[in-house]
Amino acid sequence: MAKKWSQLIRNWMSQTMDLPPDVMMDLPRITMVGQIHIYIENHRGLLAFSDREVRLLLEQGQLLVKGKAFVIKTILPEEILLEGKIDQVIYINE
Amino acid sequence: MKNQWINGLIGIVRVKVTGRGVERFLNQLTRNEILIWNVKRHGTQAITFQIRLTDIKKLRGPARASECKIRFIERAGGPFFLQRLWTNSGFVIGAVAFFALILILSNMVWGIEIKGASPATEYQIRKELDDMGVKLGTPQFKVDNVDVIQRELTDKVKALTWVGVELQGTTYHFQVVEKAEPEKPELYSAQNLVATKKATIVKMFVEEGEQVVELNDNVKPGQLLVSGLIGKEDEKQPVAARGEILGETWYKSQVELPLNSTFQVFSGEEKRKYHLNIGSATIPVWGFGDHQYKEFEQETRDYRLKLLKWELPVIFKTETIREREEVNRTYTEKEAIKRATDLARKDIKNQLPEDATIKGEEILHQSIKNGKVKLSILFQVIENIAEGQPIIQGDEDDSRFENNGNPTS
Repeated sequence: MAKKWSQLIRNWMSQTMDLPPDVMMDLPRITMVGQIHIYIENHRGLLAFSDREVRLLLEQGQLLVKGKAFVIKTILPEEILLEGKIDQVIYINE
Repeated sequence: MKNQWINGLIGIVRVKVTGRGVERFLNQLTRNEILIWNVKRHGTQAITFQIRLTDIKKLRGPARASECKIRFIERAGGPFFLQRLWTNSGFVIGAVAFFALILILSNMVWGIEIKGASPATEYQIRKELDDMGVKLGTPQFKVDNVDVIQRELTDKVKALTWVGVELQGTTYHFQVVEKAEPEKPELYSAQNLVATKKATIVKMFVEEGEQVVELNDNVKPGQLLVSGLIGKEDEKQPVAARGEILGETWYKSQVELPLNSTFQVFSGEEKRKYHLNIGSATIPVWGFGDHQYKEFEQETRDYRLKLLKWELPVIFKTETIREREEVNRTYTEKEAIKRATDLARKDIKNQLPEDATIKGEEILHQSIKNGKVKLSILFQVIENIAEGQPIIQGDEDDSRFENNGNPTS
């Protein structure tokens, strides 16, 4: 209940004070270059990695990237750069 | 990512991780601030990725904690490259030695070719070249410039009119033009002998012709000494008068010699420096430090290095610094007079033909003024004063001009 309250307050703050929501709310920031690159900031760890599927833990839920021939070009604690042919990006909420 | 080439210098290792929970292991690594890149999946169990060589030690802790096995499968980059270079250093040394050898061999004299010379002249030229240091197997930077060789050769070898010197690669080519010396005619045409100088005759040796003057006669230049017309009064035969008429002649010479003089000589001390000039950069090769000479003369010689047939932009510079000294010379009066006389005699000898001899000398006048000895010396010289003068037909009655103009009469 408390987590929900804080989320609501943050949401309200970013809307009324015009602050960037990814900073305020710990949301992932995803940059894609066509189908070949995907750059995800603000993730919380790697859950599964294969050449067809990458599963990342987020602050809320998970992110599932599907495609072919995946190679992790760089991985840092909160950032990941993925290369390959990306078909789908799916948010999974519990 | 951005400093990938720096990682390349440090050294890169490719790691293979097998086992369960490789993702957890990766998360652990990133949390420990280990840079990971190029993560690839191989089958269900294994992944590979690259890390820096310096991060290898940090891998140990997380690897122990996880259930994964680690293998290093590929090593690349700076240190590994160097290591390979070291194990294969024989090749590198061989390559360097090869180039050094080629470089040395391309800068040697490997051939001397002489064209257009007779065997005698060729032998002479080869001897002179030997003296100059142009020999097979000498490094070319020790040898003088082509122009210098040319000049010295033409000076020293008398039989040469011209010699072309060319350096093609490692071979010196000499194109020789010999003097075509005309053979002296054995038979002279009809001639008289006349005096060349004012002289007193001291000795006469007439091979052919009729002697006109006597011993101890004074003769003037142009005076007839031996006539080329012999025979009876009315039927004279023209012959080539030959012979040697030695006459006593006089030469006056004036010399001046300072009693005190200073001049500069080389002390014999010298320092040599060798440099390599590459572009504008100068690399000292041998001969370091500065010279301590107060007075000196510097001589530099440049030599452009070659590799096979190409000229390299590298100049080998030889610098020779010779010490100069100032020497004071003081003569006493007696010495000065003697030296001055010697000087005068030498001077006269230079002017005279080779077969002349100095019979005597007499000091006419001598003075010492302003620290200078002034001498005026008279030399008595015995020399051949005879000179051939051709006889032209009909010369006796001075009518040659009419005859020449009218050959049919």
